[in-house]
Amino acid sequence: MTTTASRGSVAVTAAAASSAEALREGIAEFYNETSGLWDEIWGDHMHHGFYDPDSSVQLSDSGHREAQIRMIEESLRFAGVTEEKKIKRVVDVGCGIGGSSRYIASKFGAECIGITLSPVQAKRANDLATAQSLSHKVSFQVADALDQPFEDGISDLVWSMESGEHMPDKAKFVKELVRVTAPGGRIIIVTWCHRNLSPGEEALQPWEQNLLDRICKTFYLPAWCSTTDYVELLQSLSLQDIKYADWSENVAPFWPAVIRTALTWKGLVSLLRSGMKSIKGALTMPLMIEGYKKGVIKFGIITCQKPL
Amino acid sequence: MRLIMHNMLTCNIKGVINKSPLRIEAEKVIKKEVDFNPDFLRHMLAKIEWKALVDGARSMGYTELPVHAPGIESDEPFLRKFHHALLELNLEEGSLVCQESGRKFPVNKGVPNMLLHEKEV
Repeated sequence: MTTTASRGSVAVTAAAASSAEALREGIAEFYNETSGLWDEIWGDHMHHGFYDPDSSVQLSDSGHREAQIRMIEESLRFAGVTEEKKIKRVVDVGCGIGGSSRYIASKFGAECIGITLSPVQAKRANDLATAQSLSHKVSFQVADALDQPFEDGISDLVWSMESGEHMPDKAKFVKELVRVTAPGGRIIIVTWCHRNLSPGEEALQPWEQNLLDRICKTFYLPAWCSTTDYVELLQSLSLQDIKYADWSENVAPFWPAVIRTALTWKGLVSLLRSGMKSIKGALTMPLMIEGYKKGVIKFGIITCQKPL
Repeated sequence: MRLIMHNMLTCNIKGVINKSPLRIEAEKVIKKEVDFNPDFLRHMLAKIEWKALVDGARSMGYTELPVHAPGIESDEPFLRKFHHALLELNLEEGSLVCQESGRKFPVNKGVPNMLLHEKEV
């Protein structure tokens, strides 16, 4: 599935609605197959670590896990979400196996509801919550981020940590995030983007699009857009206090570290056991590094507040 | 799926007005103990749709909840029942049924599947 991002519009798959269901199934199967492997080797946070830029020290495994926790903390801080905000209920959109939800529930004493397309992830997330005595605070279900099974305004913090990449219709995705946010509540989107287009530039260069297309296929990413596209969507929906940043330098050590763990004896055996999707995913990782190095792929954070 | 979660779930099928509560058809219910926290429960009391909780608990075989929630002073025996219904009853297998459209959302291994089909959105 290939897309082109163009100025003033966000990428939407050209195919008809039935391919949206096929995409959902593809994403679900991908995570059904690969989550166990990630869980075993990296633990329960399925997102980039946050590092000091140009940090040359090669971190241990636990150093990388700390970086993943730091990603959550830096995101909350960037959005101005502190203990004083008295966050009561969080919706975690694209929750993986629930790492962020459980962390935020522990930190704020908030209720967290996670949604994922993968039944395997949801079950694992619930089991981990039970094991950590958090099952009264957090729960996970299979649901679509584009059609969330909640009333309007139920959440005072809507959290999307590296799930935006999977959404075929960015406008609908953002609308749903806004719908379930309570007045005065905050939205935090941390996501892979492509670089912002220059003034007068209508689309990415063909070689750039080609690079992204190769990544899209393996990771079930239907569309890339830029940080600016998200900002413009939020502006069009009258969100306030919109802030954004490029954290590409802060995530640079991550993919090399993931590749290193994949190349260990344990990593290789686990990959072979896990299946073709995992293997293809591993083979695609160098493309992520290439994308970052060439400035095509950006790691972005966008936050805002819903007006009262 | 516990009733604390069920209380929040809606059916978002296009055109449905009466989105919640979803009726529960229970096939397998298990009880899992959760630590009793009266402060948390008192806080939840204000947020819970009471009738949905009572009906949901009945569908899962628990009939001890009063038809109406008590006033501001809630005593321990009541809180214990509330706690049990809200947090300790787990629907492992069954369905959540939209009362208006009749659409069934399956619950497998404790996980509700709220995905809509293309023609429903």
